[in-house]
Amino acid sequence: MNKAIFFKEWIKTRWYLLAALVVFVSYTLYLVLRVGNAIEFKGAAHLWAVLLTRDAVFIEPVQYLPMVFGLLLGVVQFVPEVVQKRLKLTLHLPYPQPGMVLMMMLYGLGALTVLSLAQLVAFWGFLQHYMAAELTAHILLTALPWYAAGYAAYLLTYAVCVEPSWRMRSLLILMGIGLLRVHFLLDVPQSYNSFIGSLFVFDLAALLLVLRSMVRFKEGCQD
Amino acid sequence: MTDKVIECKNLTHYYGKRKIYEDLSFDVPKGRILGLLGKNGTGKTTTINILMGYLKPRAGQCEIFGEDIQHISPATRARIALLLEGHIQYAFMTIEKIEKYYSAFYPKWNRDAYYELMNKLKVAPHQKIANMSCGQRSQVALGLILAQNADLLVLDDFSLGLDPGYRRLFIEYLHEYAKAETKTIFLTSHIIQDMERLVDDCIIMDYGRILVQQPVAQLMSTFRRYTYRVEGEQPALSSDKIYHPSVIRDCAELYSFENRGYVERLLQEAGIGYSDLREETMNLEDIFIGLTGKY
Repeated sequence: MNKAIFFKEWIKTRWYLLAALVVFVSYTLYLVLRVGNAIEFKGAAHLWAVLLTRDAVFIEPVQYLPMVFGLLLGVVQFVPEVVQKRLKLTLHLPYPQPGMVLMMMLYGLGALTVLSLAQLVAFWGFLQHYMAAELTAHILLTALPWYAAGYAAYLLTYAVCVEPSWRMRSLLILMGIGLLRVHFLLDVPQSYNSFIGSLFVFDLAALLLVLRSMVRFKEGCQD
Repeated sequence: MTDKVIECKNLTHYYGKRKIYEDLSFDVPKGRILGLLGKNGTGKTTTINILMGYLKPRAGQCEIFGEDIQHISPATRARIALLLEGHIQYAFMTIEKIEKYYSAFYPKWNRDAYYELMNKLKVAPHQKIANMSCGQRSQVALGLILAQNADLLVLDDFSLGLDPGYRRLFIEYLHEYAKAETKTIFLTSHIIQDMERLVDDCIIMDYGRILVQQPVAQLMSTFRRYTYRVEGEQPALSSDKIYHPSVIRDCAELYSFENRGYVERLLQEAGIGYSDLREETMNLEDIFIGLTGKY
């Protein structure tokens, strides 16, 4: 049954995931080429100096990418379910209802994790050739909150889509904007280091909002 | 051991301050086909939503196969096939893929029942459901329901958007299946002729209450239309045993479960001068109109 749930989600999202893969690969290649060109023309030492003195991490253009990807994945996965009223069919299947909610979520979180990790590994693979391990870690640690925002955006979109009342939906959207803003408040590199773990946990805790929305959907709550 | 597949007691529901119904009670015995009839907005889909656990009623209890509808176990859900209004399905899937998907969940899945119906449609297995006509989609939904081999079928407005041919096909298939396999069916439809061909029992709802709950054959043999001629202005009729008396020019009509003698007495007591009193039985659609009124 788990395989069937993933199978359905895959058929639904595959074209979006393919498009997202192209965008992630394009962004990664663009940033690798940009940094590569800078190293070629100005030398790695110059890059190190910029990194240490100007708070630049070179991969800033990617900062909103995981968030946008998470948000759109949530939309692609759940807006049709709600608009076409298929969620009732899905929850009627002989499978535990909370389990069904979590399996669909697991699929999305899995897709998000695979693309995010692949991009981070690609950056790491490239940067470690030219920079000290500490500087590579400096860049990647700075980028971690951006990837955490992807999870938050995905889960909040899920909660908003499934929520049956517009009043609560609006509240969730406002909460979501606030939560996502937290990931982009501090622009000094590694400012989130001391609480990056807590931030990830806090983002993943948004799944409680999804479960709450699902309970409200089941009860047929209205404005 | 109860033979009631569905049992609802004292259901009350409101949308905001608008009462849908109060103290609605009914049950569906095993092996029967029960149709829920009512005008738009009387609460047919609300009842289906409550039964399937997608709406918490303000008061009352419902059980399906002895389980509280708010907490139906997956094993019991496997015994209930659900058709949503508009034959909603996973339209992004193909005929082949949707069969593969559903079969993973149902232990008694009958693949042949699904493909038998699909072969009649003459559509390719890789055809996407989204690209099919409404009638074809209804057959896909029906095929999936039959293949589930469920004990109870819950169908919400199955005739919506179907042309007469597909409606007839749907009804014949469903009727044959239900009778051959002793299935219980609870359904709604806004096309009353369909119900006459299909259902054993019916519940006719008005705004906020049940008007009638009885076997269709009994209803058709006991509910009558009386027509008569009147001249000039006549006093209004008043009795809780007659339904929707009306006069158009010199032709008057009323509906009742009572016999001719009762109606004659009623007209005489009201001081109505009448002639040419006629009594007739009706088809289910006319009975529905007689009970619920034309407006």
